[in-house]
Amino acid sequence: MLKKTLAGRIRRWINRRLPRADRQTFTQKTIFILPTGAGVVFGLLLLIMLVTGINYQNSLIYLLVFLLGALFVAAMHQTHRNLSGLTLALVSAGEGEAGEGVPFRFRITSTTADSLALALSVADEQGRPGAVIEGVHVPAGETRDVTLTLPTARRGYVRPERVRIETRFPFGLLKAWSWLRPVSAGVAYPRPLPAPDTVSTVQETDNNDTPVRVAGQDEADLRPWREGDLTPRVMWKRYARTGQMVVADWQASGGSPHWLDFSAFPGADTELRLSYLAWQVRDRAAKGARFGLTLPGEVIDPDAGNPHALRCLHALAVWGQEKPRDDAHVHGTRAGVDSAGAGRAA
Amino acid sequence: MIKALFTRKAAGQGARTDTVLPGSALNWLLVSFAILLVPQWNRLPIWLIGACAGLAGWRWLAQTGRVRLPGRWLRVGIMLVLMAIYIATVRGHFSVDTASSFFVLAVGLKWLETRTQRDFYVVFFILVYLAAVNFLFRQDILWALMNFSAIGLLLAGLQTLNAPDLPPSARRGWKRLAGMVLKTLPVVILLFVFFPRMAPLWSVPMVSDQARTGLSDTMTPGDISSLAQNSERAFRVSFGGQVPAYRDRYWRGLILDYLDGETWRRREQDDFTRPGRIDLDGGVGELEPNQYDVLLEPTDRKWAFTLENSRAVSDNLVETPQALFEFRRPADTSVRYRMALEPSVRIVSGSPETLSSAQKRRYLQLPGEGNPQARALARELATQGSDEQVIRRLLERFREQEYYYTLRPPRMPENGIDRLLFEEKRGFCAHYAGAATFVYRAAGIPARVVTGYQGGEPGAGGEYLIVRQYDAHAWVEVWLEGRGWVRVDPTAAIAPDRIESGLRDAMAEEGSFLEDDPLSPQRYGDLPLVQWASLQLDRINYQWQRWVVGYQGQSQMDLMSRLPGGLGLKELGYLTAGIVGAALLFAGVISGWKRRGGPKQDRFRRLVAAWHRFCEQSGVPVRAGETPDFLAGRLARALPEVADAAASFARQVNRHYYSRPEGVATEQELRHLKHLLRTMKRQRRQRQTSSIRTRNP
Repeated sequence: MLKKTLAGRIRRWINRRLPRADRQTFTQKTIFILPTGAGVVFGLLLLIMLVTGINYQNSLIYLLVFLLGALFVAAMHQTHRNLSGLTLALVSAGEGEAGEGVPFRFRITSTTADSLALALSVADEQGRPGAVIEGVHVPAGETRDVTLTLPTARRGYVRPERVRIETRFPFGLLKAWSWLRPVSAGVAYPRPLPAPDTVSTVQETDNNDTPVRVAGQDEADLRPWREGDLTPRVMWKRYARTGQMVVADWQASGGSPHWLDFSAFPGADTELRLSYLAWQVRDRAAKGARFGLTLPGEVIDPDAGNPHALRCLHALAVWGQEKPRDDAHVHGTRAGVDSAGAGRAA
Repeated sequence: MIKALFTRKAAGQGARTDTVLPGSALNWLLVSFAILLVPQWNRLPIWLIGACAGLAGWRWLAQTGRVRLPGRWLRVGIMLVLMAIYIATVRGHFSVDTASSFFVLAVGLKWLETRTQRDFYVVFFILVYLAAVNFLFRQDILWALMNFSAIGLLLAGLQTLNAPDLPPSARRGWKRLAGMVLKTLPVVILLFVFFPRMAPLWSVPMVSDQARTGLSDTMTPGDISSLAQNSERAFRVSFGGQVPAYRDRYWRGLILDYLDGETWRRREQDDFTRPGRIDLDGGVGELEPNQYDVLLEPTDRKWAFTLENSRAVSDNLVETPQALFEFRRPADTSVRYRMALEPSVRIVSGSPETLSSAQKRRYLQLPGEGNPQARALARELATQGSDEQVIRRLLERFREQEYYYTLRPPRMPENGIDRLLFEEKRGFCAHYAGAATFVYRAAGIPARVVTGYQGGEPGAGGEYLIVRQYDAHAWVEVWLEGRGWVRVDPTAAIAPDRIESGLRDAMAEEGSFLEDDPLSPQRYGDLPLVQWASLQLDRINYQWQRWVVGYQGQSQMDLMSRLPGGLGLKELGYLTAGIVGAALLFAGVISGWKRRGGPKQDRFRRLVAAWHRFCEQSGVPVRAGETPDFLAGRLARALPEVADAAASFARQVNRHYYSRPEGVATEQELRHLKHLLRTMKRQRRQRQTSSIRTRNP
């Protein structure tokens, strides 16, 4: 309990020092430095060596201890300088599929000193290292872009609480680290699940309630046969020609093939519906079909092409979710929302 | 590059410990291990060196992919076998050597398990401590450099471990390391000088089973002639005044007064000494004209070597009744002591005016039988006059008859003295000293064998004498009524060259000087360059020993007493803490100053950063990747007053970016930007005051 409050207090203190921003230049104020486990053992070793030197009155052991001790302090400066003046910016928070990972693109810019052996990492929900990228070297005055793929299990906005940048160079006896607390959020699409046959409830504006062959078979939705499909629906002609069992979907769907509909899966729960729809969006997009998407409170008009599909997936991903705000206590400022949107746009 | 590591157990800290070792880092480690083993080569058993080479080689081959690392059972098997060999060879006998070979064994076995970063650090730590252990055994400057360079390799290895794939432009591990060492060197030196040298916290003897070359406390004819083939240093002496003539440089070590068959021994053995460290404080300050200062190499013995008529000046020596000097503990490390010459009528100081009957018996002791011819000779000599005459007669016999001084004496097992005196007539100093003592004792003159060194060559620059093992010598002291103990050297009668100028000249004809030691520079006395180099190295080592290795308690106190303020141990402690604190502060100030200063490019960036800060303060957050124009536009919407200034500022920044993105901003540009920024700030202030005014009319 005490530990928890202490951890909370430390986190609040850190958060005060590192306000949310998509761009952070690390200075003395924001760089933290501590010995690593190896560094602690090294300190103990120096102590033991000092005692050996005292007991055997051996000047050279004294010299060795002082030299290594001074190098340890010099390494502290070196490690600190590795991060100092460095700018870490979130260039783009990407979109990806839940379960697959969402790419976040960062840009690291160093100023006067080389920044070597940097490691970027994001902890997942349980505090374990979720995604790590190691061995990033940014020579003085240069810029490097790195992409960190955040694993995510659920759909929706993905925003790492904090992105840790760490370096142990040169000796690994000390680690200096800081955090970027990004404002922008990426988006994880629902994990696609093959949808059962559905009936859209959407009313077509011109042809009401009639299953239509839209200008011949070319525009019909074709999909591979799967268990449960009725035999008459298989396109036997095509089977004779290619040997593939293909079903023309438009024949069976009671509703319009143009519309993918949230309410078309009676009984399924929301996340499942979104997963079905995600699968359908991908399915339709792969076939190059035109389709629209209706969600409660949101309608995306029929269209075709990749951008449209991504727009639909995005809508599915964030449906019913609020965009993460800047910080809990800054209510109502435009700034937070503004910059979050900008981050995505960039 | 990207590793999504779901399976990792430890969070954060442990995340990087189970990655695979980069091969280049391992190579650094292997090389430094090999270097650190070299100083130990003669105290490690052969099998251990072989095992270590094998195990390290295996690890190296595994890294190159030619063989696989052993599985668990094979590893355990190898470990058990080597441990069994170790235990069998050690047999419960504990010394510094067994401890250090255990250390080496541990590293050797660890090679097969060095798979991860964590293992790398374990080996690193052990090797660093191994370097410290090496310093216990060898403190010469070359060995020290070797140890320090191994440490350097280890640190370079750590850099490689932490950044295995550095771009070539940044791959300057050595340069970086050298820079760090140079920057910290002043602090290291200050700490070395001022860190209080405390007394040992507890007493740890350095028990070594290493046989040291040097005089032993017994003398069988032939012993010293084997020492004569050794050119290792025994000790170095510097004199405050005149250096005595070569023939007077008799360094008395110990007295052998008991003849046991063919072997001369000491009647009184050393008392048991409590284990402990030798007292290293050998006196400080300038040498008086009659003083001399000896830097003895480790002997593991208690006895010290001194000229006749000497008195101990430093406190780490005590005088024995036989006018010899001893340490309180065996000299397990090199030690300095200081003596003073006291000219007196007696040749050997401290000798009593009369011998008690017990002493007389002791110095007349002979075995019950053996060497009848020598006894007959003694009887014959004894009838011819006083003790002095007997002594002179024997020396004349050595001088006049065909006696040879040789490093290749024949073996004389039975009645050796008879065969030496009457048949072979070829021997080394030990033979003649033993034979002369025998004859004098048989003639009723109290006599004893003295062993030590005779001679010493000047080192580079003539600052000190170097006495080497081949200067080992044995001679005789006889008791003369009214004069006390008097030195008699039969070798001087047989081979005056040996006493006047040393063994090299005495053996010039025979050509046997250092014949078994072709690597010794002393063998090539006729090659000036070799001599010069060897003496220069010795000189550097001498200064190193005196000022660095020998910088201990009393010499520190002496140095401090010369500084103003009269610093004691406690003050030194404060001073040390002060040095550390000041160094840290200094480094912090430097790094802070560095960040503030810097090239003009940074001033440009700082201005842009200041503008960004200004925007954020005005409620316009800066977005990554946004163009200055766009930001200026948003700023203008939030603060219409600053629109013009912001637009010009953005234009200026843009122009700089596009015209010379890498170039340095000119003074004019910077001034302009600064001016615009000030304008914006003023405009914002005016707006705020005016809005306040409108709110509170």
